[in-house]
Amino acid sequence: MTTTLAPAAAPTGRGPWQLARAELRRRTSVKISLAVVALFLVMAAAAPLLSRLGGWSPEEFDKTAVDPYLGGQPLGTLGGISADHWLGVEPVTGRDLFARVVHGAQVSLLIAFAATAIVVVAGTAAGIAAGYFGGRTDAVLSRLMDLTMSFPSLIFMIAMMSVAKDVNRIALMTAVIGLFGWPGIARVVRGQTLSLKHREYVDAARVNGSGSWRILTRDILPGVAGPVIAYTTLIIPGMIATEAALSYLGVGVRPPTPSWGQMIAESVAFYDTDPMYFVIPSACLFLTVLAFTLLGDALRDILDPRGSRS
Amino acid sequence: MILYIGRRLLGVTGVLIAIAAVTFTIFYVLPSDPAAAACGKSCSVERLAAIRTHMGLDEPVWKQFWEFASGIFTGRTMGSGQYALHCDFPCLGYSYENSESVWGLLMDRLPVSASLALGAAVLWLVLGLSAGVTAALRKDTLTDKVLMVGAVAAASLPVYFTSMMLIYGLIRTAGLLPYPQYVPFGSDPVHWASNLLLPWLALAVLYAAMYARQSRSSMIETMAEPYIRTARAKGLPRRTVVVKHGLRAGMTPILTIFGMDLGGLLAGAVITESIFGLPGIGRLFYGALSSGDQPVILGVTLLAAAFIVVANLAVDLLYAVVDPRVRY
Amino acid sequence: MNKRTLTALATALAASLALGATGCSKTKHADAGPDAGGKNPATANAGTVVGGTPQKGGTLTVLSNQDFTHLDPARNWVMNDMDFGTRLLYRTLVTYKAAPGTAGGELVPDLATDLGTSSNGAKTWTFHLKPGVKYEDGSPVTAGDVKYNVERSFSPDLPGGADYAARYLAGADGYQGPAQGKHLDSIKTPDDHTIVFELRKPFAEFPNATVMPTFAPVPQAQDKGPQYDNRPFSSGPYKIESYQRGKKLVLVRNTHWDAATDQVRKAYPDKLVMVMGLKANQIDDRLIASQGADASAVSWGALRPESAAKVLPSAEVRKRLIAESTNCTDMVQMHTGRAPFDDVKVRQAVQYALDKDAVLTSSGGPAFNDPSTAYMPASLFGGKQPDTVKVPVAGDVAKAKQLLKDAGKPDGFTTKMTVSTGDKGRAEAIQQALGKAGIKVTIETVDPSAFYATIGDTKNRTDMVYTGWCPDYPSGSTFLPFVFDGRYIKEKGNSGNHSLFRDDATMKKMDEIAALTDAKQANAAWQQLDGEILAKAPAVPVLVRRWPLVLGTNIAGAYGQTSFGGQLDYATAGLKDPSKSQG
Repeated sequence: MTTTLAPAAAPTGRGPWQLARAELRRRTSVKISLAVVALFLVMAAAAPLLSRLGGWSPEEFDKTAVDPYLGGQPLGTLGGISADHWLGVEPVTGRDLFARVVHGAQVSLLIAFAATAIVVVAGTAAGIAAGYFGGRTDAVLSRLMDLTMSFPSLIFMIAMMSVAKDVNRIALMTAVIGLFGWPGIARVVRGQTLSLKHREYVDAARVNGSGSWRILTRDILPGVAGPVIAYTTLIIPGMIATEAALSYLGVGVRPPTPSWGQMIAESVAFYDTDPMYFVIPSACLFLTVLAFTLLGDALRDILDPRGSRS
Repeated sequence: MILYIGRRLLGVTGVLIAIAAVTFTIFYVLPSDPAAAACGKSCSVERLAAIRTHMGLDEPVWKQFWEFASGIFTGRTMGSGQYALHCDFPCLGYSYENSESVWGLLMDRLPVSASLALGAAVLWLVLGLSAGVTAALRKDTLTDKVLMVGAVAAASLPVYFTSMMLIYGLIRTAGLLPYPQYVPFGSDPVHWASNLLLPWLALAVLYAAMYARQSRSSMIETMAEPYIRTARAKGLPRRTVVVKHGLRAGMTPILTIFGMDLGGLLAGAVITESIFGLPGIGRLFYGALSSGDQPVILGVTLLAAAFIVVANLAVDLLYAVVDPRVRY
Repeated sequence: MNKRTLTALATALAASLALGATGCSKTKHADAGPDAGGKNPATANAGTVVGGTPQKGGTLTVLSNQDFTHLDPARNWVMNDMDFGTRLLYRTLVTYKAAPGTAGGELVPDLATDLGTSSNGAKTWTFHLKPGVKYEDGSPVTAGDVKYNVERSFSPDLPGGADYAARYLAGADGYQGPAQGKHLDSIKTPDDHTIVFELRKPFAEFPNATVMPTFAPVPQAQDKGPQYDNRPFSSGPYKIESYQRGKKLVLVRNTHWDAATDQVRKAYPDKLVMVMGLKANQIDDRLIASQGADASAVSWGALRPESAAKVLPSAEVRKRLIAESTNCTDMVQMHTGRAPFDDVKVRQAVQYALDKDAVLTSSGGPAFNDPSTAYMPASLFGGKQPDTVKVPVAGDVAKAKQLLKDAGKPDGFTTKMTVSTGDKGRAEAIQQALGKAGIKVTIETVDPSAFYATIGDTKNRTDMVYTGWCPDYPSGSTFLPFVFDGRYIKEKGNSGNHSLFRDDATMKKMDEIAALTDAKQANAAWQQLDGEILAKAPAVPVLVRRWPLVLGTNIAGAYGQTSFGGQLDYATAGLKDPSKSQG
């Protein structure tokens, strides 16, 4: 499953930030999305605090909450939702779902954001270098982009995750996801840079004797910032989904560390006997992906207008 | 044109060799011992050494790679004496797990993955493109909004969630469809389709949503092009303008994405196949991973990469046909 | 024999792994009578044949989430696969009786006319082959073919099989199989119907070993090396019509098989179809619903614990549930060769801290598992394990803390435990329980394929490992010496004795028991030794699993074969009404 679709590169100048902010504030979908994103971010950041508030740590068993004779089904209705366990418990172990969902948010979002950061930094750098310097640099980098894009990425990520054993799984996952994501953004930035390269103000800077580094950082980088920001927001949901997919396939973070994908993977088997267990992490994943997609759409419309507004 | 194709084919080969080398290195540099896995539980040091020699694992990595890579084209003979086995072009070696030829295993599983991918592709193209084009032509109406809200929501649903809901709704509760179990098209087309319908739907929902979004923006962009305005101004019927001019140009970017997606899926939809228990290439790969069956892992990776690069090549060539602006 | 448990685990993928559950509450209930059976809803059918006597004909469908590890008789050493292979495709010198309950552990002659005769102080064993046993092409089975397959099991091209031949046959050191034309002199075939094995040391239980598929015939002309795995040549009641690895196996009758030569296999169905690679949960759901063709189907893998909630409350489904014990004990083995587990007090602290109840729940609950209070499973104690140490089943944290204090570790310590991916849930329960006593455990999960190699490396492995051991046949000699004899420890490729337990008193006692000629006396001595080792706590026995299977409504002649880890006995399974099955 390829989840990263490169939006068409667009020749725009420096975005009118004031206008953008006003435009964003005008949209209801953006407000709701921001609220959802903020909610989950707070949840992830304050996970230890929140789970202490709930009274359970994410790895603590509660034998009294499940029925061992029924394959460890939670006692009580709706997957054992009670004053004690706010979102119910995990079947078999009796671990608190609320504590696991908030800690899972931490892991899932951390990996998604870190991988996005790698992709954006590496992709932008490669794109600007290829576009600005051209010639051999461009040829080499473009071939490298083509090669990376020819890799069956999901299959490769699964393979790499499954061979590496004794390493920090979170760091490894971030690196592996990042490794295959950069060419998309690099292509966008390369196209953008090519069109900026010969604008008058860049030529003027060059004539004035500015060094390459100065031109790149002062003139080119701000010019590509708009599309990069829009693109970044749009790839975050893909990153979250990829983390979930890898964990779902059992090659993600290792137990008992929770992540949403891993929780969903374990809960799939209970989808009909304990639906709440399956629905809760799935809903979190869905809402987060949805919120980031809407936000990304809005940002793209404003910062990279050729995308969909005419 | 012919020169162009030749150059591209050369590039394709280079890409495949690079991918094979990378895959090979990952699995041989990282710690994992297929000989120990084959030897099993009660394994003496001497026996382990003998097995390692027989598997050719005591050779240096570069030599193993050379034998593998050249063997693809020239074939190789494995084992000796009564157990000698000749493996013809295209030789990808033999599975550690079940001693079947990797090529044979891939070809055995390909119909399953191809059935899944092609069936789903038809569904998602029909659903996604019609939704996208409709929304684009009725931009900013209620239809457009409903379709796009639906699409963005569907695109956010993980495929395993959709799958389980479909299983629950259509199999467990309504009993409308059987639990998927692959039936070859050749032996019973009706059962083939009824068994695959659910996996098709699960996969198509996600892709249809993405295609609807993509085709809508592409279409809107195209319809704003000057030549469309010219065509309209000439008084051509709206239908002609949309179909003959709009669709043709508006669908070219979709073609690129479609090539990539289909290429990727032909070599196995790992998650969908594993959820529905379909014995396709994705499931073969997943099984090979947990048993450390390196020849199979390598084979699947290469096949997947081949599908992707070939699909890309096909798309680029098709461009010349579809889009009159492109000439090689 | 770890190998079987292990390999069984190896074949089940991550998907099927969450479960792997088999269990053994049989101990508690088998002897407690029918009224106590009400307590464990899973064992009502223990010791009986479900569905009555089958009718001849029809197609029996087997639904599986995996493929066989090996069907090649030289390599087949996984309980389930041995059941399938030896009951349907090939015959061995001796085999297990086809009967439910403990009677399933009795030996009966199969290819041989009797259970073998020994001479030379149990160092020479002679078997005579029945006349009229034929392969699928009508050619006769000869003693030379049995010898040839035993030789094949030495080939490095054909790894994975049982190692009894390698351990006991004289002159077998360095032998690498028959492919280069070399043969073993210690197996003699004076004529086509006589085979003589020369052993390097006395082995009174040798007939038990000849149940292994290693002792099935393979004609040299049919041997295709590693490829033989995909098309074994039949000497049993069925032959392979088609076999697509990982997808589908179809067996049809071997018309040359003669029921008159075979007192074990009933061969009721005309055809067997095994569909592989299905999703384990969907198999459970299909069998619970038992609609249409699924009524004539059985499951290959055990019921998953999460399906218990759909099975146990329903009286109708319970009637179709068998849940025989696997007779394998899961254990936490501690590295007694180095700190901190070189101190018996520390090991006892683990013994007391461990909450078997919690592990049981994560393993599918008391319906499908029994807590284990001894190392050897109940089958080696005549049906019930003794409780010599009397640790409460949920553990005793206070006592554990006290023991740690006595050992000079009042604040506990941190350690690591290696587990196979499928035991992840059980490991988490252990981690929780030990954490309460101050022992912080980090879990290292390893793919089943790499598990043995990882824990067999005694220098680099973790201090704790979670493994199981199954006796190959009902004798203490196939359990305690493998797991606790210090002389079997190898620095690399170590197996069984993962506690690296080297105790002179224990080893002396083992030699004494091995020298006993009276089986009853030996049995009692093994049982006593079990308790003596338990007091020294090199390992903590945790649980014994059952092998729960839900059968389709049209299945008859079904029971779990105790000698094949509780798997359905394919020698007698068939259909109530063959006309209802679909081919």
